[in-house]
Amino acid sequence: MTDRIKNLARYRMEDRMLFIGMPLLVANIALAIWGSGYRHLHPAGVLAYLPAILFALLGVAFIVIFGLYLSEEQDEFQRAIWVQALLWGIGATLTVITFWGSLVEFELVKDLKLMFVFPLFMLITCIARLVLKLRYR
Amino acid sequence: MKNRLKVLRAERDWSQGDLAQRLEVSRQSVNAIETGKFDPSLPLAFKLARLFERPIEEIFTDEEERSSESGNQQVSESAS
Repeated sequence: MTDRIKNLARYRMEDRMLFIGMPLLVANIALAIWGSGYRHLHPAGVLAYLPAILFALLGVAFIVIFGLYLSEEQDEFQRAIWVQALLWGIGATLTVITFWGSLVEFELVKDLKLMFVFPLFMLITCIARLVLKLRYR
Repeated sequence: MKNRLKVLRAERDWSQGDLAQRLEVSRQSVNAIETGKFDPSLPLAFKLARLFERPIEEIFTDEEERSSESGNQQVSESAS
């Protein structure tokens, strides 16, 4: 409990996640659902760029939120844990998409939608963070 | 790197949480340092030294230095 009260950097990160990251994530999910349902409408011009920008904004927002957290975090061990988790996220995501890409080349699997790469990275990073948290309990 | 954090903490009857609060870090950090899973930075090591009122080398022991010292001792003993 004291950890949570003391750690202002973490509080700030959680606030940013809640008020910036999550609304963007919800908007992205809604857009993905809407997009899959209304793909036949073939949005063109600015309308086609807007969803792409929104998807990219999610990635930028999360990276900025993590970057700010890492620069504000005073507890060097917590910082090291997050850096390790992010490295796991980057490494595993690159491995998965490279492996998948090779399979696509030989027509063994369906094409991977690139817009799912960032959510995959986030998922792996969060799992890595949980595993590391358990390791250093 | 080995350390005497657990002993020094026990002498003062502090829990890991108490020490963490004094150092302004998480309890996890204290646990990781204590068990040798994480080596603290120099500023944190100095903070620990100030807190326990001991020199850094009394709290942390460099394993490599220790093993080379014992190696040198063995060499000088065999030479004499």
